[in-house]
Amino acid sequence: MSTRTRLFVLLVALAALVAVPSAQAARKLRVVATIPDLKSLAEAVGGDLVEVDSLTRGTQNFHEAEVRPSMMLKLRRADAVIENGLGLDAWADVAITGSNNADLMAGGRGRIDISRGIQVLEVPTTRVDRSMGDVHPQGNPHFSLDPGLAPVITQNIVDGFARLAPEHRAAFEQNRKSFLAKLDGRMAEWTKLMEPVKGSKVVVFHPVYIYFLTRFGLVQAAALEDRPGIPPSPQHLVNVIRQIKEERIKVILVEPWNDVKLANRVAEEAGAKAFVVASAVGAVKGADSYIAAIDYTVNTLAQALR
Amino acid sequence: MRVPGSLVVVLLIALGVVPAAAQTTETEALRREIEQLRRQQEQYQKTIDALAERLKKLEAAPAPAPAAPAPPVAQAPSTPSSQTAPLSPADLARPRQPFSLYQQRGSGQLLFDIGIAGDFVGNLTQRNVEKAGGGTFSGRENRFFPREVEVGFFGQIDPYARGEVRIETGEDEPGGEMRVNLAEAHLTLVTLPYGTQLKLGQMRNRFGWSNQFHVHDLPWVDVPDVYRVFFGEEGLVEKGVEATWVPDFLPFYVQVLGGVFNGDNEAAFGRGRLTTPLATGRVVTFVELTDTMALQVGASVASGETPDRLRRTLVGYDLKFKYRPDGWLHPLLTLASEGIYSQTDERFGWYGAAEVQPWRRWSFGARYDSTQYPDAPGRQWAVEPYVSFFPSEFLRFRLAYKHTEKSHRDVSDLLGNGGSSRIADELFLQATFILGAHPAHPF
Repeated sequence: MSTRTRLFVLLVALAALVAVPSAQAARKLRVVATIPDLKSLAEAVGGDLVEVDSLTRGTQNFHEAEVRPSMMLKLRRADAVIENGLGLDAWADVAITGSNNADLMAGGRGRIDISRGIQVLEVPTTRVDRSMGDVHPQGNPHFSLDPGLAPVITQNIVDGFARLAPEHRAAFEQNRKSFLAKLDGRMAEWTKLMEPVKGSKVVVFHPVYIYFLTRFGLVQAAALEDRPGIPPSPQHLVNVIRQIKEERIKVILVEPWNDVKLANRVAEEAGAKAFVVASAVGAVKGADSYIAAIDYTVNTLAQALR
Repeated sequence: MRVPGSLVVVLLIALGVVPAAAQTTETEALRREIEQLRRQQEQYQKTIDALAERLKKLEAAPAPAPAAPAPPVAQAPSTPSSQTAPLSPADLARPRQPFSLYQQRGSGQLLFDIGIAGDFVGNLTQRNVEKAGGGTFSGRENRFFPREVEVGFFGQIDPYARGEVRIETGEDEPGGEMRVNLAEAHLTLVTLPYGTQLKLGQMRNRFGWSNQFHVHDLPWVDVPDVYRVFFGEEGLVEKGVEATWVPDFLPFYVQVLGGVFNGDNEAAFGRGRLTTPLATGRVVTFVELTDTMALQVGASVASGETPDRLRRTLVGYDLKFKYRPDGWLHPLLTLASEGIYSQTDERFGWYGAAEVQPWRRWSFGARYDSTQYPDAPGRQWAVEPYVSFFPSEFLRFRLAYKHTEKSHRDVSDLLGNGGSSRIADELFLQATFILGAHPAHPF
């Protein structure tokens, strides 16, 4: 081997040694969220340092997502998975197991459960069974719809990201602070907007909105489903229609994946109006981020309840 | 003036004592202060310990429900088990709730899931088919019987492995004693490197897609004819090791599988020795055509020896297509097909199935079966329309009609009792329930 060739080989080796760590450092954290709300919050926290994908779309029912092998491929390539917990995305376990990604298995470093530290609502205090429908034994899992819980959720995400990339903890913390400052600003507007309708009663199709309603001082008077997850019985609907009329309730909230036609029929019969609201990020047109989704539902309700 | 020496001495002593006394007073004060601080510190430590203990208890207990509308759960008095105070005679005399697994689970004492599946089948057919014992549920024609009652235990063994055990029973012959069988028992090592996993134990082999499911999870009343003819009524269930690999560098999902088993299946192999094992392989891929349409394609192979040391190699294909309109809770259309070809016997069988589910609680479908016999000349075909009704996710009723035609008489047709199953018309009623936990199935 000539001296020039040796020198060339040495230079290539040195370049490789320098390039590999810098390539690793430049690589974004690959994150998969089980639902789009968490994708949006993870993007806010991770900023340019992460690439986030969601296993579901906002128009889907997160309780009953179909586990597709394409989910397993996303999870196979991921550094972290963000799960809602409390049984909402229990199906993700099947996808995670099928992904063969050791880091994401139960107890793995890439597993981020954002329900830690959440003050859970509707926790059954007595024995529950399936005669009561799809009751979540650990409590209502739809807490991501409460913007007041975003600090807890985003802190869990920061901790999870920092476990994988401790060198970026400060950046994640800074992103979180900026996001929460922006959210605080909007929260003041939303609270002001909802102030005149505080205490109003609404009817929901499925108990998705309890955290949101509690935050803004609204009352869930009834649900079209007499038992969560089970199609409503005609007798129950008759009772709800009577209640809506008696209590002069104006609004029925329905998710895009639920039986919107039935909600409209009940509303028509009872003299109320059914609204498809942003039950998740991407559930309706325009609700393409966490703040936009909350904004959509707040504005819809503030106008409808006036 | 002359100062007496004694006075000088006294003054000197006084001058020395005063600072010493002052110093002693200051030392005492400091000592008292330190003591006080120490006591305060001890008090703080006690407060910290008490608060930490309280936090620990609060974290261990379920989160309290705030003043929000409660879920529709029945109000019942708290059970004595939830109380820490000793039971009084009055408490003991009061009626109590029966033992509840949920409560055990809720308090974090049960570290795995338990589920029970019950599957009952009733079938009606012609008398000659019953005499020949040639119906789909051979020997149980014109009966209603528990086909499969299964108890499943599954969960995480430790950070490195998952475990699953399923024990089942069911009626094999009219009025006969029902035996309890070990349906499956295996562990899966889930934290192996490079996208690999290892499954060890007794398992339903991943040959095709329908063979992986227990009969209560199938979308039809009965197992497709091709699987029953090539692998027997139970399908391919083997003891051994199966490894899977999911590569992360391909733009689409691929799972590669290889396995080594005893080869106990009597219908296809039956040698049952690891020295001449049954080797299996499978490649499955998945194409997401649109957000609402997806196709899964798989190819499988199984090669083992029969008791006569004849090598038998079976290859199979499987296809599954689903169309689930955006926002729907269930697929509107499902199409499926599987086939098995025996290279050794040059015999082939397949089925094609379609199911439409326009409403959440109702689905309608049909399956067409056509298969040659691997060990005998001739073939059979069948068509089976059905309707399913799901009151909930955990309860299902299914009504089906099956028309089967065979090109040859079965051996059982020649019993001399006038029976024949060359043409069979059968009516099935199936009732399936699930109690407790049941793992979700992919696609």
